[in-house]
Amino acid sequence: MNVRTEQATLPDSGTIEGEIGTYLDERLNTTVDTEQDLFASGLISSMFAMELVVHLEQSYGIAVIGRDLKLDNFRSVRRMTELVLRLLDAPATDG
Amino acid sequence: MADWLGDARTQVSDLVGDRARSWDLAGLLPDDLLRTLAKQGLLCPEVPRRYGGLGASSVDGGAFTAHTGSLCSSLRSVMTSQGMAAWTVQRLGDRAQRKQYLSQLTGGDLAAVAFSEPGAGSDLSTMDTVVRVDGDEVVVDGHKVWTTAARYADLIVVFGRFADEGAAVVVPADHPGVTVTPVPNPSGCRAAGHSEVVLDSVRLPASAVLGGGDQPLVLLGTTALAYGRISVAWGCVGILRACLAAASEHATTRRQFGQRLADHQLVARHLAELLTAEQVATRVCEHASRCWDSGSPEQVIATVLAKYVSSTEATRAASTAVQVLASVAADDGHVVARAYRDAKLMELIEGSNEICQLILARHTTSGR
Repeated sequence: MNVRTEQATLPDSGTIEGEIGTYLDERLNTTVDTEQDLFASGLISSMFAMELVVHLEQSYGIAVIGRDLKLDNFRSVRRMTELVLRLLDAPATDG
Repeated sequence: MADWLGDARTQVSDLVGDRARSWDLAGLLPDDLLRTLAKQGLLCPEVPRRYGGLGASSVDGGAFTAHTGSLCSSLRSVMTSQGMAAWTVQRLGDRAQRKQYLSQLTGGDLAAVAFSEPGAGSDLSTMDTVVRVDGDEVVVDGHKVWTTAARYADLIVVFGRFADEGAAVVVPADHPGVTVTPVPNPSGCRAAGHSEVVLDSVRLPASAVLGGGDQPLVLLGTTALAYGRISVAWGCVGILRACLAAASEHATTRRQFGQRLADHQLVARHLAELLTAEQVATRVCEHASRCWDSGSPEQVIATVLAKYVSSTEATRAASTAVQVLASVAADDGHVVARAYRDAKLMELIEGSNEICQLILARHTTSGR
């Protein structure tokens, strides 16, 4: 399900950061900072990173595949937001 | 239910017929069986239509996997390998790689996925296989063990170290430097083509490295195994159905002490437990597949849960079914004898029981 397809304009970084932060707060039962290193702080595992991949794909109608499938892209709320904005901005591919 | 599913189930039933026993005892599946299914995209039905696949949902793909698994777990294992290879290409490959390899995998070619090594099983970070860049080529050196379906494969997706991280490389099985040696006597899924794969200075174009490589091994493994786990989970549903059918048939036809076995209360309890196991595994797999189909992030943990529940239920139920059929199931190659051997392997592969338990436990303590 792509919740963004009906919207004429792309969400801004503040909105995305807020949405990702809310998801993490709920799943991790703790509040994370935008810049906080989620791996270094032991908050998330590679299994959780996979969950974040699926969450971002579902929430923003993007596909996180190939070269984008790197832990660095999931290291912090800021990094995830940058990834989402870049993929939303990218021309449509064959998927 | 999708259009293709009914026909596909009938076709596999006809192709397998009563031959699963002899394939198991011989430790070999016929080449024409695998090619016939591969050419129709039936070994990896979830590949999207734009790549030549059937575009099956996870729920329908799972139903087909369970059906195949109820007939022959060796054939189902080959399906799991093909589907996992396709999923890996779909997730890790760039556009050109997806187009090329997925058309091969839906057009008749067979594939295997090579993770395990003599010194690296559950802990993929200890892999010794190395993918080294040399100009516009890469050179692969390594030793893989227990690679399911490698005996039949045209393409082997090999995981290895790449610079400081990891990579998945698509290696043609007939390429110079590749040696595939079947495991002589596997205890379960005997005809699934488990093999040792030795890679000795295998030189390939850099375009064989999915997505250019340099991705964390653990994330590569987690990605590929997600498909392997849901497929194994559904395969175990098939094992459970075969055991339930065989046990209820036997218990209603054989008579002892003047009544059907099913009318002896202690045997009746076995039947109740078999039905319960089959239903529990089916529901947990359906839930996980629905998570895949709706794009829910819960799919990650639901898949591990499905694999864990299905494989443990299948192992227990196969033992129960042997108990009900007694000497009939002591005949090696019998559907229940195969289930007993095959189910146990399902508790080991694609994340052992213990690894699944660790993942599930960690899920309960996220952030705490």
